[in-house]
Amino acid sequence: MFIIWEGKVDSSNPFIPHLATIQSVTDLTSDVKLFRIELNDPAVQENFDYKPGQFAFVSAFGIGESPFCITSVAHLSEGLEFAIRRVGTVTNSLHELEEGAIVGVRGPYGNNFPLKDYEGKNIFIIGGGIGMAPLRPVINFILGHRDSYGDLLVINGARTPQDLVFAPEFDTWSQSPNAKLELTVDRGDENWTGRVDLVPNVVKEIKPSPENTIAITCGPPIMIRFTLAALKELGFAPRQIVTTLEGNMKCGLGKCARCNVGDKYICKDGPVFNFEQISSLFEEA
Amino acid sequence: MTQIISKSDLITWLNKLAESHVLIGPVNDNAGVTLFRKVSQAEEIAFDFTNTTLSPKEWFFPPTETLFTVERKDGQVELVPAEDVEAKVIFGMRPCDARGIALLDKPFLNEPADTLYQQHRDKTALIGLSCREVLPECFCTSMGTAPDDSSNMDILLTEVADGYIIQVVTEKGAALLAECPEGLLKQSEVTPPALSSAATVPIEGITEIMAENFDNVYWERLADRCLHCNLCAYVCPTCYCFDVRDYNDKGKVERVRTWESCQSSGFTRIAGGYDRRAGKAPHLRQRFYHKLFYFPAEFGSVACVGCGRCVKACPVNVDIREVIMDVHNLGGQSGQQ
Repeated sequence: MFIIWEGKVDSSNPFIPHLATIQSVTDLTSDVKLFRIELNDPAVQENFDYKPGQFAFVSAFGIGESPFCITSVAHLSEGLEFAIRRVGTVTNSLHELEEGAIVGVRGPYGNNFPLKDYEGKNIFIIGGGIGMAPLRPVINFILGHRDSYGDLLVINGARTPQDLVFAPEFDTWSQSPNAKLELTVDRGDENWTGRVDLVPNVVKEIKPSPENTIAITCGPPIMIRFTLAALKELGFAPRQIVTTLEGNMKCGLGKCARCNVGDKYICKDGPVFNFEQISSLFEEA
Repeated sequence: MTQIISKSDLITWLNKLAESHVLIGPVNDNAGVTLFRKVSQAEEIAFDFTNTTLSPKEWFFPPTETLFTVERKDGQVELVPAEDVEAKVIFGMRPCDARGIALLDKPFLNEPADTLYQQHRDKTALIGLSCREVLPECFCTSMGTAPDDSSNMDILLTEVADGYIIQVVTEKGAALLAECPEGLLKQSEVTPPALSSAATVPIEGITEIMAENFDNVYWERLADRCLHCNLCAYVCPTCYCFDVRDYNDKGKVERVRTWESCQSSGFTRIAGGYDRRAGKAPHLRQRFYHKLFYFPAEFGSVACVGCGRCVKACPVNVDIREVIMDVHNLGGQSGQQ
């Protein structure tokens, strides 16, 4: 035999997830649930460090795995939180699971929101629907490091009042010092006294100054498109506007070649990009 | 002086190797298709093949491969890694295909290494065979290799009138040759026969011109006739896009990796239905941009070896050689839509 092979290499196979247990499942809306998951091996959980903007693959064994942003902040939550909308095969299956169920988790992958670079700046968050999931850890990180940042303004839109994903946290957000939360919906109901308007219109109406401000947005493509236009109108430069991209991806490692946007991979070079970077990509993101 | 081995002695040596390794070589099936297949003895090998219908990529990156198995017992879940792969000797690897494997190394062995691929790679030895003839679809010499290129082999054999010239390239190759029964290797003054040259393709400077022509209407026109049949990716030695999915067969759950193609319709579609690369032209454009622009940007070489399989396989004659020439003609003036 000509091969020197040490064996046991497969224990390091990057496709093998960590086994993890669902600690709690909370209904956030009619189709979004918050899963709190802890990795079964305490040492692995302890070392699972991640930053706002990073993502991980969650497995429903027998169905498949999909990438989800981690919506908790490391060291502020026990384990990992994922806000998952029921929209496809894997998410349907995850929604069937209850506390105590075993899932797989591998990650964290991707870059992150460069929050260190944003210290001293005002932060303007614009989120729509489930697009709030990657923005929640940014908000909670900033509120946890309140003195390091300027004003925090959050505009959160959804189809209906019942679709506002992180409603239980709205009081904490809006009552924090130098923080303001603006909610808007496409369609109100009899109890809704707030705005009924599209997110980009609210941006135009509130007119936050681009001065020393970073705008971070995530939501449906159509919302992003018009929000971007509104921000540019207000004088935001493309590099002051940051988003996180979603892509069909299978590895998270820059190997499966599924999530490239031009010569960049969402999984490895992203998912966080500013619009100066996005406009330099060949392909539409 | 060179070492040579007669064909019958080569068969003896390969059969010796087959005692301790899985032996793989080109085999003709009944339908006129030549593929790299396991053989129990070297006599089954089609020594007179030109090139195989599929590249031997499948022995390093199988069309379907189990990554791990999910075992459930008493409410517990255990993930069982894929079994160790067998030690293999592939006989008859053409230089273009060997370069294809060397190109696959770049994404798969890039950190963090794909350990399954790495295992296939480490436990496989390549006994290459120089080409005897240059086929009409061949353009390897434009793509960094040649009919007698030994650089990505462990051993390269070159057929001559009374046998095969042996060129040992790596230590792995030397170890293989050490298993050759005594007395089979002869010294000879013979030199390999000259070959006609392969077609040339103007690959110089292609990435710079690609950079200028992403929005060119050319891609729309080219894609008009594309059927998105995925054959080009299926036969390509360097296409490596993959899918990962779970198979659940009566409670036996496996996570498998399968070949995928950027030409398939759901390639970039995400849950909820949004597809940022909808339409024919963006799909076909992705194929050529990955090969001629993104891969070179990431890894330093064009992801094509000039084997010509996609040229032969395409039912509507999308020909990468023509595409490269056309792109050169587009030049720097982009015909924006």
